[in-house]
Amino acid sequence: MSNTGTEDTGTMKHPAHKVCWSCKGPVEASALFCDTCNAIQAPGQLDHFKRFGLERSFVVDIDGVEATYLKQQQKLHPDRFASKSPREQALSSQQAASLNEAFETLKNPVARAHYMLRLAGVEPEGGGGHTVNDPELLMEAMEMREALDDADNRMTVDAMIKDTRKQARACENDLADAFAKDAFDTAKKLTTRLRYLMKMTEEARAKKSRLAAA
Amino acid sequence: MAYSEKLIDHYENPRNVGSMDKNETFVGTGLVGAPACGDVMKLQIKVTPEGIIEDAKFKTFGCGSAIASSSLITEWVKGKSLDEAGSIKNSQIAAELALPPVKIHCSILAEDAIKAAISDYKTKNGQGEVEAAE
Repeated sequence: MSNTGTEDTGTMKHPAHKVCWSCKGPVEASALFCDTCNAIQAPGQLDHFKRFGLERSFVVDIDGVEATYLKQQQKLHPDRFASKSPREQALSSQQAASLNEAFETLKNPVARAHYMLRLAGVEPEGGGGHTVNDPELLMEAMEMREALDDADNRMTVDAMIKDTRKQARACENDLADAFAKDAFDTAKKLTTRLRYLMKMTEEARAKKSRLAAA
Repeated sequence: MAYSEKLIDHYENPRNVGSMDKNETFVGTGLVGAPACGDVMKLQIKVTPEGIIEDAKFKTFGCGSAIASSSLITEWVKGKSLDEAGSIKNSQIAAELALPPVKIHCSILAEDAIKAAISDYKTKNGQGEVEAAE
């Protein structure tokens, strides 16, 4: 057994627990504060789901996650640590950074899918500037963008946004199925498709604003 | 970060924008995407019976660097043989346009697009050997 330091994320007796750096007592891995001595804890190596007390799944109750996020963010506000030791100030900002990263990842379906693929040891498409040449997917993307280019009024663009949103939701449902079955190859392809659908939505919204301003 | 004049010129006045009939045997079509940014690029070449690219067209939905990269490569490949065109490296495009490091992938997209177009043409016309296509 090696115990390399007080900030060891620890595998003492229970993997879900670590050692509090301050009182040396056991503390839950996902806890922000020690429930014995109340000291702020290091963020540790929790995955983004565990940080919010969730099972690893593509289906996430985002409203619930956001509520937890806001509550925890308040507890980690720098003002609350202004009179604490430098170590506690540093830990609180580390916790805040981990919390932000976890929230941003879970909130965005493409980021969430990328994260889940990487957790499973699968590299998402497009990393490191790589290109894809899936003709069906790219044809669809090309046609959507051409249609958007040709659209000359807000109603048409609005209809496109609605339609794309609908397709994105269907794609997210398919992704949830694929992840539930550990079908990572399918999930990888669906993630790329979702990325293109999201891009189309962004571009359509931008075009709508331009048309509104004209 | 200031973009180079060449890049801005290609972005503001893109050359060879358009489409060809992808069903024609003398047309090769390359369709590639960069999922990291949601870009999609279509590059088409029209090849003579002698295996020379006589025309090239592109359509790119992406950032300015992706548009400039595809515009530049369509200019470069015209008049070249398939092998010459296929040996263009993304680093040459990046250097010509002085692409910033974060935009290097746009030049990769253009290189992959021309390669895909050549490969499509060769597949249509019998693996590698360029035959006299009508």
